[in-house]
Amino acid sequence: MKNLNLFLIGLFAAVAFPFGALIVSSQVQLGALGRAPAEEGGPLFPPREPGLAIQGRAVYLQLGCVACHTQQVRPAGMGSDIARGWGARPSVARDYVLQSQVLIGDHRFGPDLANVGARLTEAQLHEHLRAPSSVVAGSAMPAYEYLYQPKANGWAPTDRAVALVAYLKSLRQDYASPEAKLKQ
Amino acid sequence: MSQESSHQRPDFGRETALRGPFVFFFVAALVWLLAASALGLIAALKLWMPSFLNCEWLTYGRVTVVQKNLFIYGWATNALLAVNLWLLSRLTSFEFRNGWIAVFGGLVWNATLIYGVQQIFAGFLNGFSLLEMPREVGPVLAIAFLLAGFWPVVAFARRPSGHTFAAQWYVVGASFLFPIFYLIAQLLVLWCPASGVVQALVASWFVQNLLQLWLAASALGIAYYFIPKVLERPLAGYYLATVGFWTFFLFAGWTAPATLLGSPIPVWIQSVGVVAMVMSIVPIIITAINFHGTFAQNGGWANAWNSTSLRWVALGTISFTFVGLLRAIFYTRGYSAIIRFTEFYQGLDHLLVYGFVTMVIFGAAYFILPRVTGALWPSVKLIHVHFWSVTLALIVSTLVSLYGGYQTGLDLSKGAPQMIGGGKAHVLTAAAFLLGHAAFALNALGLIFRGLTSAENRQHD
Repeated sequence: MKNLNLFLIGLFAAVAFPFGALIVSSQVQLGALGRAPAEEGGPLFPPREPGLAIQGRAVYLQLGCVACHTQQVRPAGMGSDIARGWGARPSVARDYVLQSQVLIGDHRFGPDLANVGARLTEAQLHEHLRAPSSVVAGSAMPAYEYLYQPKANGWAPTDRAVALVAYLKSLRQDYASPEAKLKQ
Repeated sequence: MSQESSHQRPDFGRETALRGPFVFFFVAALVWLLAASALGLIAALKLWMPSFLNCEWLTYGRVTVVQKNLFIYGWATNALLAVNLWLLSRLTSFEFRNGWIAVFGGLVWNATLIYGVQQIFAGFLNGFSLLEMPREVGPVLAIAFLLAGFWPVVAFARRPSGHTFAAQWYVVGASFLFPIFYLIAQLLVLWCPASGVVQALVASWFVQNLLQLWLAASALGIAYYFIPKVLERPLAGYYLATVGFWTFFLFAGWTAPATLLGSPIPVWIQSVGVVAMVMSIVPIIITAINFHGTFAQNGGWANAWNSTSLRWVALGTISFTFVGLLRAIFYTRGYSAIIRFTEFYQGLDHLLVYGFVTMVIFGAAYFILPRVTGALWPSVKLIHVHFWSVTLALIVSTLVSLYGGYQTGLDLSKGAPQMIGGGKAHVLTAAAFLLGHAAFALNALGLIFRGLTSAENRQHD
């Protein structure tokens, strides 16, 4: 402790070793992952995000949705995600390789959204965003009314609402991947 | 409660050079503490009543993100910069001649924080905890930290004698490492993002380093200084402190994957995280021997309870031991399967950041502020209001988060249809925190004002 240089080297090593072992090795192991077919000759997954969904991802971030929703389905035995119908299989690293910023989240006040595009239709998503308590009684989610404009027969989604729903519809992990097959 | 820091007129000769930087950082910290407390109340109300202040600028996602950032980077970091500076100057007899550099760094830090928070409210935020501010903020904050927070390392390097103390190790370690892991996280999450889920691993590695190697390490330095200082006795089992220090710093960085159990990252990495989290119990036991062993000797607990400053530190060290044991138990696979994503883990973070770090900072403030300003605390009543409101709020909010989170996890595993969140208890505790913080800020600002005006009068005389 008396030699400052040795002391600082020891401190640096205390941060550098876990960084190298956990993060650099993860990057080495997962960095080369790309899209892949579940079976030889099949379509490549994960699918590319449509342009509108990329705009919707920005809206998702702007509204702070990640504070209440995760996007990861845990394997059976590590929670009840699959039993609850939030996904057909556990999420795997390959599902996220095309995402510029991975929004897996770390807290749930609402359901997981990794597979919400396969669970809900566009109309259901719009209804849920505009008036959540009309869909789920006592929902803790606020109504995103400012994403909708009143019209003669009800409500019309703004461009941002359309983009957000396109993004939510793009969230699907209902395809088989080399690491996680779908159960028949 | 005796007012040792109120009734003893402090010597403020050597403190004069520190007065400007210390007061600057502490006033900034108080402002952010009040802002974070108000936002904490708004966030709790929004969870309880989703329609409360329902506009895009104040979505729950933005409010809670700003609240956490202000609490960590605004309150805790500014306050620790102030206390660390004072502590190392005391321990090394370092004559602080370049206070303007630290103040300049502090100005840049706080101005950048204002910009970052404003950007979050405007909707420009990222999706990783405590890295939400726009990416241009990161490098500026790192440079500002080097200007404002690197002085403990300088003071350590220039100390006149070779002897060192545990308090110095922790403060120097925290001050040296923060800019390193902060910049690496910024780089790999926001500037040159790592591949896919590796970003999540980097983000969790950053959060664990921030909580443990910056916040908790600085607070440990404060505890290692104040306990023997105020009790006027050596620490029990002090020979173990070296082992405690190195095991704390060695294991902290490995614990991150334990917070990602079940996530799509390699399973062997998750296992390493669990092992590190359990191994972290070694420094917890050693610090418990050092702190609680000292309190247990010759009426130490009673002395701590009767001391305005040490009772905060004592409560903080109890929280630290408690949260360390809980982390070692509940970050294992079996429990994580039940309680991950519930407010249980938020309760543990709250116990670490508030129950330990913030309580210790309060204790340090009650000791240092009168010495730095040369004034007395204006109101004993406000000290009582502060102590009882935040202590009760801490106990209730922690119990509600831990019990509520565990119960939510059990309900969900049985197929409960709806998440349970927030509730009246969190609104009440958030209001109690705000009340206590307002009492503390009022008292501290009154003391600082008194000190500055009396210093001016002394100059005129």
